[in-house]
Amino acid sequence: MAFAAIFVPNFRLQAVVRCEPELAVRPIALIDGLPPTYQVVAVNHLAARLGVAEGMTKAAATQFPGVEIRPRGKPQETTAHAVLLDVAWSFSPRVEDTAPDTVLIDVDGLASLFGSHENIAANMVSKCAEMGLTVQVAIAANVETANVVARALPGATVIPEGQEAKFLESLPVHMLSLSEELCEVFERWGVKTCKALASLPVISLSECVGQEGVRVHAIASGNGVRSLVIAKPAHCFEEFFELEDAVEDLEPLSFLLGRLLDQLCARLAARSLAVRAIHLHFTLQPSFESAFDSCSEAIRKKELSSDYVCTLELPVPCRDAKLLLKLVRLRLQSTPPHAPVQKIHMLAEPSFPRVTQGGLFVPEVPDPEKLELTIARIAHVVGEGNVGSPQLLDSHRPDSFRMHRFSVASAQPIDGDEKTETKIGFRAFRPPVLTKVNLRGGRPINVAFLGRSGEVVHASGPWRTSGDWWEEDPWQQDAWDVEVNFPYETPPSQGFYRICFDSRQKKWFVLGAYD
Amino acid sequence: MYIELHARSAFSFLEGACTPEDLVRAFASHGMPSMALLDRDGLYGAPRFYLAAKKLELTAHIGAEVTATAGGRYCLLVASRQGYQNLCRLITRLKLRAKKGEGAIEMDELREAKEGLICLTGGDEGLLAHALRTGGTEQAAKCLRELCAIFDRENVYVEVQRHFSLEEERRNQAAIALARSLQLSLLATNGVCYASPDQREILDVFSCLRHHRVLANAGRLLSYNSERYLKSPAQMSALFADLPETIANTVELASRLKFTLKDLGYQFPVYPTPDKESQIEFLRARAWEGMVHRYGTGNERAVQQIDRELAVIEKLDLAGYFLIVWDMVRFCRENNILVQGRGSAANSAVCYSLGITAVDPVSMELLFERFLSEQRGEWPDIDLDLPSGDQRERAIQYVYQRYGKLGAAMTANVITYRGRSAAREIGKALSFDPETLNRLASLVGAWEYIDSKDTLTRQFQDAGLDLEQHRIQKFFELCQKVQDLPRHLGQHSGGMVVCQGQLDSIVPLEPATMPGRVVVQWDKEDCADMGIVKIDLLGLGMMAVLEDSLRLIREHHREEIDLGRLPANDPAVYSALQRADTIGLFQVESRAQMSCLPRLRPKCFYDIVVQVAIIRPGPIVGKMVHPYLNRRLGREAVESLHPSLESTLERTLGVPLFQEQLLRIAMIAAGFSGGEAEELRRAFGFKRSEARMKEVEIKLRRGMESNGIIGETQDKIVRSITSFALYGFPESHAASFALIAYASAFLKCHYLAAFTAAMLNNQPMGFYQPATLIKDAQRHGLRFKPIDVASSDWDCLLEEAPDGFRVRIGLRYVRGLRMEVALQICDQRSVRPFDSIEDLKQRVPEIRKDEFRVLAAVGALNFISGKKGFHRRHALWQVERSSRWSGPLLAGHSLTENQSGESSPLDCMNPEERLNADFRGTSLTIGLHPMAYQRRVLQRQGISPAIQLSSFSDGKFVRVAGAVIARQRPGTAKGFVFLSLEDETGVANIIITPQLFDERHTTVVHHSFLIISGVLQNQDGVVSVKARTVEPLLTASAEMQSHDFH
Repeated sequence: MAFAAIFVPNFRLQAVVRCEPELAVRPIALIDGLPPTYQVVAVNHLAARLGVAEGMTKAAATQFPGVEIRPRGKPQETTAHAVLLDVAWSFSPRVEDTAPDTVLIDVDGLASLFGSHENIAANMVSKCAEMGLTVQVAIAANVETANVVARALPGATVIPEGQEAKFLESLPVHMLSLSEELCEVFERWGVKTCKALASLPVISLSECVGQEGVRVHAIASGNGVRSLVIAKPAHCFEEFFELEDAVEDLEPLSFLLGRLLDQLCARLAARSLAVRAIHLHFTLQPSFESAFDSCSEAIRKKELSSDYVCTLELPVPCRDAKLLLKLVRLRLQSTPPHAPVQKIHMLAEPSFPRVTQGGLFVPEVPDPEKLELTIARIAHVVGEGNVGSPQLLDSHRPDSFRMHRFSVASAQPIDGDEKTETKIGFRAFRPPVLTKVNLRGGRPINVAFLGRSGEVVHASGPWRTSGDWWEEDPWQQDAWDVEVNFPYETPPSQGFYRICFDSRQKKWFVLGAYD
Repeated sequence: MYIELHARSAFSFLEGACTPEDLVRAFASHGMPSMALLDRDGLYGAPRFYLAAKKLELTAHIGAEVTATAGGRYCLLVASRQGYQNLCRLITRLKLRAKKGEGAIEMDELREAKEGLICLTGGDEGLLAHALRTGGTEQAAKCLRELCAIFDRENVYVEVQRHFSLEEERRNQAAIALARSLQLSLLATNGVCYASPDQREILDVFSCLRHHRVLANAGRLLSYNSERYLKSPAQMSALFADLPETIANTVELASRLKFTLKDLGYQFPVYPTPDKESQIEFLRARAWEGMVHRYGTGNERAVQQIDRELAVIEKLDLAGYFLIVWDMVRFCRENNILVQGRGSAANSAVCYSLGITAVDPVSMELLFERFLSEQRGEWPDIDLDLPSGDQRERAIQYVYQRYGKLGAAMTANVITYRGRSAAREIGKALSFDPETLNRLASLVGAWEYIDSKDTLTRQFQDAGLDLEQHRIQKFFELCQKVQDLPRHLGQHSGGMVVCQGQLDSIVPLEPATMPGRVVVQWDKEDCADMGIVKIDLLGLGMMAVLEDSLRLIREHHREEIDLGRLPANDPAVYSALQRADTIGLFQVESRAQMSCLPRLRPKCFYDIVVQVAIIRPGPIVGKMVHPYLNRRLGREAVESLHPSLESTLERTLGVPLFQEQLLRIAMIAAGFSGGEAEELRRAFGFKRSEARMKEVEIKLRRGMESNGIIGETQDKIVRSITSFALYGFPESHAASFALIAYASAFLKCHYLAAFTAAMLNNQPMGFYQPATLIKDAQRHGLRFKPIDVASSDWDCLLEEAPDGFRVRIGLRYVRGLRMEVALQICDQRSVRPFDSIEDLKQRVPEIRKDEFRVLAAVGALNFISGKKGFHRRHALWQVERSSRWSGPLLAGHSLTENQSGESSPLDCMNPEERLNADFRGTSLTIGLHPMAYQRRVLQRQGISPAIQLSSFSDGKFVRVAGAVIARQRPGTAKGFVFLSLEDETGVANIIITPQLFDERHTTVVHHSFLIISGVLQNQDGVVSVKARTVEPLLTASAEMQSHDFH
């Protein structure tokens, strides 16, 4: 048996530097945590030489001039970890995903493909280097020894069978992945090296610290045997596409999008899943800023994001690539990207497909997929925020509402016993109608609007409301309910209205009429 | 004319948005002769409302909105003293039986308390509105009939309010119809929640805080407009033009409200004397008895003084008060609770004779008039210092027991919106993200000193915030408006009030957070303003130390020490003080005190009084320290601030140091009356003082000008007085503290073992960590014994040895060891000694593994088996072995000695490992100081030990190294940092300049051991090193703790 361990020292830092190689020659410290308690979690040797150490607060680290402080890059770490796994899988399918910075590989029987153990180890180091990671590799007859030695020794190390204990003896015990408790026990005991640990009587040790003691004793003695936990590939439904020449027109873009959607839907179909949402992320071609440096347009352009992101949420899961393409097209037509598209990243959120059965006595509701398409078409005409169902806002501001995304409520049988109550109807004028009002003693006496002029017979008010004083545009209204006679009309008529004085605009409006 | 009879202040806690004083100012400006304040479930704001109105010669009506169990609130106005007492009892009952904010009153309870109260139906939250909402007109009519049945028709008013709301008007119409049908009077009110319309914004923010929302999502929880301000009679008459009787009724009703807080009816309890003796006779007898004990028989001055004081006490009818305090002190004495009076009571020979205070005012020539004067007309102030912790609680519980649960209570402490906390809450309501909030909060401290908007704008810009931005501007405005509004009610640290009758009929009581305690709804200033006697029972860590020391001395030395009769002028005490050998002593152990002591060189008790008072922010900011020291050392002529102040400042060499002197200066130089000086005294220690101090300053300057004191002299005097706002001591207070300082020094000098053990048993307290106290005691020759489960108790003990007492460190110092486990170890040990670790485990099964491990690591199990050569690592091995669950088969069968194996394969700890284990497990060591292990290497590097520094001359370049035991960056020191660096020989004082601190901030703040190079300053025996370089000493690794103030 032979096992290899690949370990990425200073993994968090390497993950960031891998994306920005120029950082490798500058002192850099990574911070993590919640503000204001940011702490340094990784430093490179240049920063360490200046005195920055892990565990320092951000404020303390900033005291060191010249040290570049960066936030920890979790997405970069995920990618780096994926790269590490890719490298491992390129050697053998029997891979254990031990930690973000460590993978273990069963290398038994690979000699015919990669040569001797030394060759395999060197190959692994160089392949990782190509991917931007500096790693430490160890190959040993047992998996635990490989794992410990890879963490301890730089470069590629091959441990001859039977020599495990010799390689381990000077290593500190904390390298054995001990539990925190056991680590403390050994520290109190003064057991500092693997040799010291290996020299303890194993039965007494098990009496003192149990089976974990026996396990680490075996590892420290170079006899740590266990089998690998084989990792399975993750299921991530995303597609990338990078264009050689940026595309500006929708037609060629639709063609590419259609192809990607077809692929996604096919993958999902194979797994009996459907799409619940699609996230589109376009990287846009940067504008030619240098040509417009001085003009204001260039400044405006600089402020525009170089990314285009949109999410298409579906009311019900679906895997109809044509329907999805139509929805994507409609969205792109109503809000097109502001520059040619350079890269496409499409991520599909998977879900189980819809399974429905209509009730015999339930009224028929529109097909959700067609309804979604119809709403998308309407939104394309009237604008995204102007379609849906009105929803009253919790505010004292009269007539305040917002449009809520329309959805069909689950159908309920009609209840014949519903009580009906007579209510005064009010027809709101949207937008409110500008009016002229004459006052006497602070009360309205006549009004004129929409070419009509009338006398106020009764007025009730003012009903005063104000709010949003903390916003840029606070409001204050004095509303009146008025009964108005229009004596000059033929035949003379009358009406009941709600009028209001907007104190901000200093104008009168008719808000609506009572039925 | 219209009188507002329904208003809430911010004392309705989040339901009102202005102070009672704001309301008074507003109603005075509208020309109203009176107004009523009805806060929710309390009379918290009543004294301030009453006092502010009284100042303007207006009338303050009192009432409250009391929560009803059925929903809604009873709005009750007080018509007579009986009504006031009923209301207080009603609120007390509501508060004492429910959780905070949840109490309510049944209608039946109201029936019992109706006398003297008038009921309004309320506004939105009122009873009528609630009935209309829940049951319509029928329910509302029923509710009104019930109220009429309780209060009688003429005492129920149907309230109508108009805030331009359609909903409200609909309710008004229903209320009017009901009032007419039931022949009830209508009353217009405005349901006031703030004095001016702009304060509506604060109310909206408060609504957010109350409902845990932010403004953006609070919706209809916020006010619908800004109409709940105090409107003028003309505005109200116009609003109710269609209902003129509602306006007229306000005047009629106000005329029926005869009660004001002037008629509070407070009486101090009468002390029950035996044999029908009068209180003054009884007091006189106790005072003469005490005098003989204190002064002996032939002290004529003392006799005269006591006679004079007793005459004043009799004249002011205060004998009962003195007897009650005496009774409390007697209880403490009888129960072995150390007690000492402080405050102005220390000016009284009667208090001294009664044993209330321990300072002899006759020999110290303290003036009795500062304690009690016929002119002042207020209760004297007696504060009692008690040992902190359980003993103080016993004294407090005695007061409750003596005067009944409803006869005594703690005073409240009104916590107000101030500084950063206010900024954070407002910022949250405005939905600022945490980062902006932090930046805004960090700016708050700077605001107080800025008056020009330009500077402020720049400061905001520097922090990356645009003051022009609407929301930031609003934030800033709100923070300023909300300052000083009450936030919640806390409990004063020790102020108690007692009452002859039932205290709950004088002021409502509430349960305190601490079980078994009740607290009044007024803070101590309000209680004083209302003439209620307050006794402060304050906890002092050093009192506990003294008490424990006396007990240990009694038990081990078989000597009884009376702190009131310590030998005066003890040479050892003064020698220690002059050398600044004061680690562990009360009040004189800080770095600043230590650097002053060799200059001041105390020679008599009054010098200690000065020493205690001089190192305070007041004298330091007022620049009084150096002139005093220079004059004392004869380097500067003794000159008074002004010739007229010579006699006042004579004792302190022309430099004002004590509060009394400042008051006297105000009276002489600015012509302040006794009352005005009293107001000044209040402003000194008063939280809401900034505005008051400004007022006082204007008055001072005006007064001095009329007395011809102008220019620089005037400025100097004003600076002396106003700097005391930053806190300075009254002389009597300093004398009481000096006495404790003297006592602590006396005990340390003569009974070091007992004093050190007591200090170690009362941590945390004082300026230094236990590790430092131990090293200091060791340098004074005291020897310690290690923690040992076979000998140690929870507390540190004294053990007798042929060469004197030794201190056995107690189990309390084993980090993480629970007290109950330690006590069980002691109990089991007293039955039979433990013979092995396994035996200990069997007999104290509650002991946890982590506790066991620490005991083993610190060597507390080394002597358990009585075998030689058993070391900490053996114990650690055994502990791990015995702590593992043996399984059901072997449960109950302990291992035999052979099986358990007393030995282990582990090596014993080396000295450095032992040192680290000591610090890790106990934060101290009784072995060598960590620096002692380094000394040989340090010597090669030219590093001097601390003890050598005093022998070097001023200006020499030196290098020192040690453990940092204190870091200080006082606000008064312009950015300088002071370090105390301890090594095995003593403590070196280091001064770090702001520039060096900026450069080496991380090293100074984060490293426990430092090497400092710099220039030695040796002036007047004060030795310090002005640092040039600071380096970490990385070879030392013990986890020593520092006491930091930065």
